[in-house]
Amino acid sequence: MKTLLEEIEAQIEGAKSTPAKVNVGTVREIGDGVARIEGLTDCMANEMVDFGSGVFGLALNLEETEVGCIILGDYSKIHEGQEVRTTGRLLSVPVGMSLLGRVVDSLGQPLDGKGPIKSETFYPVEKIAPGIIRRKSVSQPVQTGIMAVDAMIPIGRGQRELIIGDRSTGKTTLGIDTIIVSAPAADTATNQYLAPFGGASMGEWFMDNGMDALIIYDDLSKHAVAYRQVSLVLKRPSGREAYPGDVFYLHSRLLERAARTSEKYGNGSLTALPIIETQLGDVSAYIPTNVISITDGQIYLETDLFYQGVRPAISVGLSVSRVGAAAQVKAMKQVAGRVKLDLAQFRELAAFAQFGSDLDPQTQAKIERGKRIVEIFKQPQYNPIALEIQVSVLWGAQNGYFDDVPVEKVKDFQNKLSEYLTSRKGDLMKRVAKEQTISDALANDLKAAVVEFKQTYSTK
Amino acid sequence: MRITKQARREAKQLFRAAVVNGVLDDTRARKVVQLLLEKKPRGYLAVLTHFQRLLQLDIERRSARIESAQPLSAENQATVKQNLSGVYGQGLTYAFTDSPALIGGLRIKVGSDVYDGTVRGRLDRLQDSF
Repeated sequence: MKTLLEEIEAQIEGAKSTPAKVNVGTVREIGDGVARIEGLTDCMANEMVDFGSGVFGLALNLEETEVGCIILGDYSKIHEGQEVRTTGRLLSVPVGMSLLGRVVDSLGQPLDGKGPIKSETFYPVEKIAPGIIRRKSVSQPVQTGIMAVDAMIPIGRGQRELIIGDRSTGKTTLGIDTIIVSAPAADTATNQYLAPFGGASMGEWFMDNGMDALIIYDDLSKHAVAYRQVSLVLKRPSGREAYPGDVFYLHSRLLERAARTSEKYGNGSLTALPIIETQLGDVSAYIPTNVISITDGQIYLETDLFYQGVRPAISVGLSVSRVGAAAQVKAMKQVAGRVKLDLAQFRELAAFAQFGSDLDPQTQAKIERGKRIVEIFKQPQYNPIALEIQVSVLWGAQNGYFDDVPVEKVKDFQNKLSEYLTSRKGDLMKRVAKEQTISDALANDLKAAVVEFKQTYSTK
Repeated sequence: MRITKQARREAKQLFRAAVVNGVLDDTRARKVVQLLLEKKPRGYLAVLTHFQRLLQLDIERRSARIESAQPLSAENQATVKQNLSGVYGQGLTYAFTDSPALIGGLRIKVGSDVYDGTVRGRLDRLQDSF
């Protein structure tokens, strides 16, 4: 027993505490969520600095004699002359399964009152995007359940697809209609600037662990405004529309983190759907053009279409998906391959048809078909449609089974057909979902089903 | 007073001229100030103000403040000085103060580096960790 005590004593003796070296500075200026600090000679870029009493800052500007910091949290307690110390840590957020179904702020602190988040893993907020070795081509589809998107602007897992449109054209609706992920919302410019990066880190954890994550940035135009505010207060030089010179880098490094990783690196994906608000449909403004050029395509929502009752108000001509087609299910490709072209032709002809009254039967048929396709693509909010139903309905439209239905009845016809297919032809739908291509045999069965339904429909 | 970029640049040049072998030379610095006040070149007040700030920062960078709970003996002071000059090189100015509030140990501040080995500091860290 005595030897044990002696041993412990010897160990205590040996464990001499050496005073740790810390790097400190003093606050010279404080206000607008930004502090300028003198000293902090060892401070690193993007390092967290400690203001004491639980308030932290993020060093953004490293100058010759000063450091410019943005403050996370309440800056009203910080005063001039206060001591600040470096921490040697990067800003990190908790990641992992325990975040599922939670509402958190940009630093990963819970906002939903469901108690603390138990997470042992932390990811830095700014993370370098996966390189080409870790990546793989986009090959799996994201089934959004929105027919117009799945048919014409297919999105693949790991893709970055921009949702762009004026105010109140249904951008957010299109976003949250897709999958239920709530982005953290915050109030100060600092938090708004950090929120998407924190969200991307949380999404990346799922990607790194072989899962498929979807992140919606709602919206990046406000994010750019918040970053502009922070930059201007930090006295960084401003450029076009008073945005700082690195606003492109801001968004590109964020969206670059969306990726599809190869089997060797977990086979996960992070799909990003950034949202941008335009002013009066001006897509050639600074931030919209930046983000359009970064992303792999865009879904353009138009005010005019929205008020015409075409909802989702997707403009077919201006929307594109540059990589999603590779991920589209074959059956969908078969039925939707020509839809985009048909619709584009319809738009052109419809404008043309307003001048002349006499049209040749071919043009007439194209216009009638176009009107029906527009009807088919109308879809209410929170109402995703299963892939097999989408394929069957589009197959019907492509093969002329909708042509003799009056335009105002098309939606009703479509809904009843979908209902019929789900409840009465479950086996057929399962086959469509399983085979994922429309073979001749399947086409015959589909034909039989649609014809059978049409008989019951017209007798009503 | 607004200090222009030009003034900053000039002040920095003058400051460099006053430095010999990486250490600020007092006589040269005094001469710079004297000449500026005599010749009064354009915007000399701004230059002088920034020069003063640069000097102040330099002095802070090269001054070591040693706080202890009890006054240190001359022997201990010499040891501290020797160790610090080993780390930071020659040209440091030393200021020894004693503040009983530290309870025990030493707190050394050189420029923006702080070595805190005091009992007070450890108690504060313990308090922060809760």
